[in-house]
Amino acid sequence: MHYHRHMHVLLVEDDLEIQTFLKRSLAEAGYQIDAAGDGKTAQLLAVEGKHDALIVDLGLPDQDGIGLILRLRQLGVRAPVLILSARRSVDDRVRGLEQGGDDYLTKPFALAELLARLRNLLKRTSPGNEPTRLRVLDLELDLLRREATRAGEMLSLTAQEFILLEYLCRNPGRVVTRSMILDKVWGMRIQPDTNVVDVHIYRLRGKVDMEGRTPLIRTLRGVGYVLRDR
Amino acid sequence: MSSGTAEAGLRGGMRSAAWRISLWATLAFACGTMVVFIFLHRFVSTDIQRRSDAWLSGEVEVLSDVANRTPKNALYGRVVREIAELASREIPDKLRSSDGRNDSVFFLQTDADGSLALWVGAGDGTAELHAIQGSRAAPDTPFNLYVREGTIPFRVAGVRMGNGGSIYLGLSERDELRVLKSLRLRFLLLWLLIVLLGFAIVFYSTRRMLDDVREITEAASSIGESDLSQRVPASRRNDEVAQLAATLNHMLDRIESSVHQLHTITDSLAHDLRSPLTAIRAKLEISLSSEGRLREAEPIVSAIDELDRLGEILNRSLDVAEAKADALRLDRTAIDLDELVRAMIDLYGPCLAERGVRVGLSSAGPVEVWADAALLHRVVANLFDNELKHLPASCTVTVSLAAEGGWALLVLEDDGPGFASEISLDLFRSGVKGRDSAGHGLGLAFVEAVLGAHGGTVSAVNRPEGGARLSIRLPLAMEKSVRQSISQRVDSGATGGVEVVFDGDELG
Repeated sequence: MHYHRHMHVLLVEDDLEIQTFLKRSLAEAGYQIDAAGDGKTAQLLAVEGKHDALIVDLGLPDQDGIGLILRLRQLGVRAPVLILSARRSVDDRVRGLEQGGDDYLTKPFALAELLARLRNLLKRTSPGNEPTRLRVLDLELDLLRREATRAGEMLSLTAQEFILLEYLCRNPGRVVTRSMILDKVWGMRIQPDTNVVDVHIYRLRGKVDMEGRTPLIRTLRGVGYVLRDR
Repeated sequence: MSSGTAEAGLRGGMRSAAWRISLWATLAFACGTMVVFIFLHRFVSTDIQRRSDAWLSGEVEVLSDVANRTPKNALYGRVVREIAELASREIPDKLRSSDGRNDSVFFLQTDADGSLALWVGAGDGTAELHAIQGSRAAPDTPFNLYVREGTIPFRVAGVRMGNGGSIYLGLSERDELRVLKSLRLRFLLLWLLIVLLGFAIVFYSTRRMLDDVREITEAASSIGESDLSQRVPASRRNDEVAQLAATLNHMLDRIESSVHQLHTITDSLAHDLRSPLTAIRAKLEISLSSEGRLREAEPIVSAIDELDRLGEILNRSLDVAEAKADALRLDRTAIDLDELVRAMIDLYGPCLAERGVRVGLSSAGPVEVWADAALLHRVVANLFDNELKHLPASCTVTVSLAAEGGWALLVLEDDGPGFASEISLDLFRSGVKGRDSAGHGLGLAFVEAVLGAHGGTVSAVNRPEGGARLSIRLPLAMEKSVRQSISQRVDSGATGGVEVVFDGDELG
């Protein structure tokens, strides 16, 4: 399960506060972190080639983050990149990088989202067979027949609820934020100032966590939701 | 190219300025040359007449002289006839009539009593005599003689003789008319040729010039919509059109630089605010994850919520500011509004149902627009947020989507309290909100700004039967609108709307 236990990640971020926070949080999540505050240091560290992924902030003091990524690619660094940006517009060049398998995250971000995107990036480099069934404790999802059972008992879910539950089941024990759910389940990058996602989770919970069973879907207020896996 | 587009192109060409300019120029040219020709024609015809009159007068003098001197015996007729025929032979290039007789000249002598004394020419001369007697022309100046209706007139010169009789010499005007006719014919052919050639030249040159102008117009209009880095094509010639292109390009330089400046400002503003927001959020997340401080969790959580809201307010404010300066950066793709609205209803339905609000959708199928997906999602989400925040329980929201006349029309109607009258006039201004509203008053300003940047509009009115109506209009994606109009013609009104009603029970 914890395939990222010894993953090396290079963090390129000039804001010391954010760098410290990310270093600490990523270390807690089990990654080995190298950190650089500017492009020059980053390049020196990256060409060693030991990193499985890079997290790069676009606003570096000595150079443009995209320029750095492109040069690293030229130098043969193949590790996927998670781009952090505080800019407003998504640069066309960033879009180009995104299509090449890298990902993009706008500041301010939720740590859970950064971790999730990082996991996705690493998963892409080590592909496994796509499962047809998902299982979390006594909850089981048949992805082909679009059916869900809890302790053998069929759950009557709408199509949308099934997709939502599938998304939670693909990330057991991990925090998923509201904007991640909106993005992955509804395909929208929006920031509604109402509790639309909460109502969906609330309804899903009513069907999954029936009376007398251990609640599986936990709310982490201010952060998101977790599907309990132990 | 299909015949339809060729036809449309022709119709477009006939409406174009090049066509109008060449038409008027050719008309002026044709009229001018025609007037010049008419003057020339008159000059030539009078000159020919003057020459023939001079000849006639001279000949008739000679003839009368001969007639006076020749004794009136049996030979008199023969002598005069001989002289007259000699005179008639002097007519250059004279034409003979179809029967071969010389009818281009006649000689006629009358006695004192007016009776025909001698006649040289075709026929017996009585008709000519009657015509002369009927014409009452002054005998000393040449005059036109119309012998019979519909025939070629004669130019006649007469002289009075000592015995009281008169001598008339007539010259057919057939030759003169023939010369003038051939002159007219040749001129007309040449004139037609020159006018057509002139039209072609004027049309070609104005078309070329106006093509340059049209290229500039097309380029300029596409620049506003896509990116400002493009420039209108500059022509190699150094004429007015090239100057226009240069001026436009200079203007675009300045617009681009000020838009670029605005982007730099909003970007650095966003950067300067987002970096500390990220740091604050990080700190809050750290303190939230620390064990044993659960009692303090509630204020931290609400601080994170507030922070996220602050981030969204920042985004919207900058979007509105950029859109108002017409500098919003759009990443357009084809979006099916039908699909988007269904996803939104799917997303918002349960939440609305929770509050006792029903949602109904009426849509006749895919409606494709060419828009920035992220922005459009936020716009539509905003409309639903709006309903969610303001509608009391047991109300109904009806969403209807339609495509008509090149526009996508999305209307949200509810039977709630409607907009407060004090804000209905400037609903779309940033910061305007109802007295009891919990929002930050950016929502509808953002909606209007984004739609404006896409060439669309939004209107908000209170329905006469109660409740509010928010309608947004967006231009349809190009090829789609063409397809749509064709299919509408094929099965006009065949498809009705599809009603989908969501409420809590159906979803629960």
